[in-house]
Amino acid sequence: MKVTEEELCRHSDSVNEQLARYGVKFGIYKGGQFHEQLFPFDVIPRVIGHEEFAYLERGLKQRVAALNAFLGDIYSDRRIVADGVIPEEFVFSGSGYLVQCDGVSPPGGVYSHISGIDLVQGKNGSWYVLEDNLRIPSGASYPMIARELCMRSIPSAFTGGIVDNRNYPELLRHVMDYVNTGGHSVILTPGRFNAAYFEHSYFAERTGARLVTCEDLTVENDRLYFIDYSGRKEQVGAVYRRISDEYLDPVNFNRESLIGVPHIFDIYRKGNVAIINAPGNGAADDKGIYYFVPRMVKYYLGEEAILQNAPTYLPFYEDDMRYVLENFGRLVIKDVAEAGGYGVVFGDKLSAKEKENFMAMLKAEPRRFIAQEVIDFRDIDIYEGGKRVPRKADLRAFVLTGEEPVVWKSGLTRFSRNPDSFIVNSSQGGGFKDTWVMKEGY
Amino acid sequence: MRRLRYSYHMSLSFERPAWEHSFKLRCFPSTDERQKISGERISICPVHFSSSERDSFGNMCIYGTAKQVHTLFSVDAEGIAETDIHGVIPAESHKAAVFKYETPLTRAGVSIREFHRSLEPRGWTGEFERAVYMMGMLCDDFSYVSGSTGIATTAEEAFTMRRGVCQDYAHVLLALCRLERIPCRYVAGMIPGEGATHAWTEVFDGGTWRGVDPTHNRPCDDTYIKISAGRDAGDCAINQGVFYGGGKQTQSVRVVVREV
Repeated sequence: MKVTEEELCRHSDSVNEQLARYGVKFGIYKGGQFHEQLFPFDVIPRVIGHEEFAYLERGLKQRVAALNAFLGDIYSDRRIVADGVIPEEFVFSGSGYLVQCDGVSPPGGVYSHISGIDLVQGKNGSWYVLEDNLRIPSGASYPMIARELCMRSIPSAFTGGIVDNRNYPELLRHVMDYVNTGGHSVILTPGRFNAAYFEHSYFAERTGARLVTCEDLTVENDRLYFIDYSGRKEQVGAVYRRISDEYLDPVNFNRESLIGVPHIFDIYRKGNVAIINAPGNGAADDKGIYYFVPRMVKYYLGEEAILQNAPTYLPFYEDDMRYVLENFGRLVIKDVAEAGGYGVVFGDKLSAKEKENFMAMLKAEPRRFIAQEVIDFRDIDIYEGGKRVPRKADLRAFVLTGEEPVVWKSGLTRFSRNPDSFIVNSSQGGGFKDTWVMKEGY
Repeated sequence: MRRLRYSYHMSLSFERPAWEHSFKLRCFPSTDERQKISGERISICPVHFSSSERDSFGNMCIYGTAKQVHTLFSVDAEGIAETDIHGVIPAESHKAAVFKYETPLTRAGVSIREFHRSLEPRGWTGEFERAVYMMGMLCDDFSYVSGSTGIATTAEEAFTMRRGVCQDYAHVLLALCRLERIPCRYVAGMIPGEGATHAWTEVFDGGTWRGVDPTHNRPCDDTYIKISAGRDAGDCAINQGVFYGGGKQTQSVRVVVREV
């Protein structure tokens, strides 16, 4: 392995140059301006052994199965609320709960087709789930193309043992076909100014699905059509949309949306098109709901959760509030409504005044926050300035669900380039690594 | 029981031609436990395709597209409603839960919270009696001033000014009930006379939804025809639409309800 890494490091610049040429970029809006920046790739892979990944795989499948069951339940019978397992307040007052989805059964019964589960590994080796992303988790394209380019530049580093991760498009295609209600499958992008446009186009190319914008689609007679260059209409049965719920349909949601398709939600409600991922999934990946996922596993599957959450407190509960106030200085507090590494506060980083203000806010709106123990996660080496240096890193694992959840044998490893930071989000300038899952016996 | 003949007319006129106009209309009373709709006639003009559905609250919607260039879009709906106040409109209690929590339009801010604190604490009274009490207190402190608010005015904004129209009365009462976690919903509908659509509030009590009309400070009787119900006015939007062109638009609504 050592030799391999040295070989990889020698090619660091050339692989990054090729990634730039392929347009592997990440767009960021800051101060109202769009900046497109390269997504720095570190050549040293995260390596996960066969046994260890098999454990993660079992845990991830279980977790995603429970999350899908939860979504199916809260948009129909709401048994979990009626049985008092999750306080109704956490379900119905969350911003991710879309009342418009109540009573809708998505094609194939699948809500979260593509789930991005963020994990970290503690110093003691145990894995913790930090976050579930069930709306539009992005990132699978990055390790895939990095693998492709590395294999081309440094073929000798890939002699056996590593599971090929370039099957992601097949898994994705299978999911689209599985839920398709008849007709084409398309990938709906907001356009090239989206943070993940590279990924949209790459998936379209690799799955054979058409890459479309709202102007290519129209709803007529309760069906969705793709309009080709000659004006001919062809039916669409599955839309892998890379547009958030709010902007998906200007007639049903935000009417200011210029990137959505009028009436797509109306015909989705009638079962005439599959939307991937289903609208309303935000109800299950809210940071407040996260706390309850192990309970969901138990409730729906009758099993103990294989993967554990990071130790989390809900100030909503009095005991937890007391604990949070007493231990404020060593906890990380997250605003449940924020994402992308925003709205995250480390108790020890605040001044006395800031701390006082924050605690007042916490007491006024307990439902808005969760608090977690800061996990001292295992550093991973990155290659920087000609040497190896340790950095914080997480792992986004991808679970694709058609008939059943399938875990992609790779994942996006993101790291913080700042040695003092725990925040690895790409939107905050982090970089990425490939994730190698090893075959049995290696 | 009463027999009421209703007619609803809405027209949207555009300053400049509009096209590719996608609409979703929610202005059609439908039969439920308290009203039986018959002899219904609906016309929408112009229209290229249209379809209907029940939304997640069970409200009847007609949606579609008017592709052709037009400067006037109009909707007419008329029929007979046979109403009976005694009908029981059930909601499984866990389904009523969604109506217990504030929405952006019904969020209680400083002024509603302060007013709420000035009310007598809730004793043994049921949800309906409590809502009637709060409605009475609200009406003493709030004035009907037409044109003083708009469709996007929140309960808190209206209450801070202490004035508004039926939508605002309903929203403020919803905000008050929700502070006490009483399941309550916004209702859009029609009442006898000529004018615009009306709005009121329903609270879930004793296994049924019961109406109170804060604009008139009275419980609803069998002269009320329900069009739609939801968490707030946003869920009951009578006409949602997007289109190209159009320029400035003017909407007019005329409702006539008479007993027959």
